[in-house]
Amino acid sequence: MVTKTEESQLKNLEIQVDNGGGGAWEFLSLVRKLKVRRSDKVLKHGLSILNDPKQRSTLGSEEWTLYEQVAVAAMDCQSLDVAQDCTKALRKRFPESKRVGRLEAMLLEAKGSWDMAEKAYTSLLEDNPLDQIIHKRRVAMAKAQGNISGAIEWLNKYLEIFMADHDAWRELAEIYLSLQMYKQAAFCYEEVILAQPTVPLYHLAYADVLYTLGGLENLQTAKKYYASTIDLTGGKNTRALFGVCLCTSAIAQLTKGKNKEDKEGSQLHSLAAKALEKDYKQRAPDKLPQLTTALKSLTLSS
Amino acid sequence: MAEDLVLDTAIRDWVLIPLSVVMVLIGVLRYFVSKLMRSSQTPDAKIVREGQVMLRARNLRAGANFIPSKAFRARKIYYCNEENGLLFVPKGQAQNPQAQMFSDPNMAMDMMKKNLSMIIPQTLTFAWVNFFFSGFVAAKIPFPLTQRFRSMLQNGIDLSTVDVSYVSSRSWYFLNLFGLRGLFSLILGEENAVDDTQRMMQMGGGFGFDPSKGLSVEKDNLDITQHDWALPNFEQRAEDVLKKVIS
Repeated sequence: MVTKTEESQLKNLEIQVDNGGGGAWEFLSLVRKLKVRRSDKVLKHGLSILNDPKQRSTLGSEEWTLYEQVAVAAMDCQSLDVAQDCTKALRKRFPESKRVGRLEAMLLEAKGSWDMAEKAYTSLLEDNPLDQIIHKRRVAMAKAQGNISGAIEWLNKYLEIFMADHDAWRELAEIYLSLQMYKQAAFCYEEVILAQPTVPLYHLAYADVLYTLGGLENLQTAKKYYASTIDLTGGKNTRALFGVCLCTSAIAQLTKGKNKEDKEGSQLHSLAAKALEKDYKQRAPDKLPQLTTALKSLTLSS
Repeated sequence: MAEDLVLDTAIRDWVLIPLSVVMVLIGVLRYFVSKLMRSSQTPDAKIVREGQVMLRARNLRAGANFIPSKAFRARKIYYCNEENGLLFVPKGQAQNPQAQMFSDPNMAMDMMKKNLSMIIPQTLTFAWVNFFFSGFVAAKIPFPLTQRFRSMLQNGIDLSTVDVSYVSSRSWYFLNLFGLRGLFSLILGEENAVDDTQRMMQMGGGFGFDPSKGLSVEKDNLDITQHDWALPNFEQRAEDVLKKVIS
């Protein structure tokens, strides 16, 4: 997680570096620490440090870390020549290293020679079957090839061991979503929520899945999760507000005639509608008519 | 009696300072030797998995109220059932670590290496100090102390009449042995400090913990966890939030 202060620090440094104010190394270190994706900037500034022998020598042993960082960034930007040079330099310095081996495999992957990359990863895994990064690379590779079911298979295998890795669960949930396998996705989102119960985005995603699944029970649950999203975000999440409205109208449709526990729910619904209207008035007044018609159609159908 | 004992400056030059320097050098040397001998151990897949299972079960316990009760029940059964639940440890299969250590020569080897790198240099230096420097009064602390410190500061001198603020050479060795940790963490970097005291503690208190025991504890905890879905309250809270937003 990137905190607000770190984010602003990163932004300041980025602007400073972009305008030639120095501090490139600090910027690169921060990018590495926060694990953010700024490949183009990393490539540009990292390379300029690496190409300057004087600057490079002041880094000491950190030089090799920089080589690795630049190599990965270069792969991300498809500057394969640069990536190749960096990897070669690293290989020369660390002839036996597995970490360089991983980098080489990633280079193969970036070039699109899937088979060779696969072979390289497999041999690396034989040496250390618990290397999380390589497991994840494999999933990413399957996904990049469009082999979604393969990706699911790898990811499940990975999760069998590293089952507390909630990022992997989220990835799996998103893959399942893309295949419209909502039940499985719901399970994955439950897992993510368990790991981080107070992140509203996961509640929202879970509610979306439940709403899509449909059925009275799921809809009611979905509405509750939309409500929790509203609570956790302080009512600022438009999607959750819409979700509450949609859920209410769908529930009303399903329970038409029975009409028992509708009363207290309808208050949340109308409140959400009002909040939406207020929000639209403030930020997009020209879209307001569309909103009112949409909301009207929802209430009409109920 | 407390009239000043005058310490020869030669004692300072040939006992006090060399002793300290040697202790520091040995500490540094030991650090590099143990770094050389350290085998990069690859963690066992089973142990990693058990750790992860425990983490996940703990998450489930902590966040139980945030998922629907159906989902919670399904998970509880998945973890706790008596046939093949994740947290279920069949009786008899629970290995105690001692036995595990003997069955896995690598582990025993590792332990031995660790102990060797600690014990051998320590006995050697102790013998060396005893042989060359025993019986010196090496230093004087500038403040008086009570009699109880005698055994700490005047180890190796059996004279009850010497003032307690004088430090014997052997005691100086012990003070160095335990007191140089801060210096090592300065020289060798934060985590790398050779921490004798801690290692001794580890030696005393059994080897590591027993993962299967952790699993069954976690299972018991999960068994008694009640599910009380928190989400219905959220609707009320969301209403309050929205009222605030609208007003």
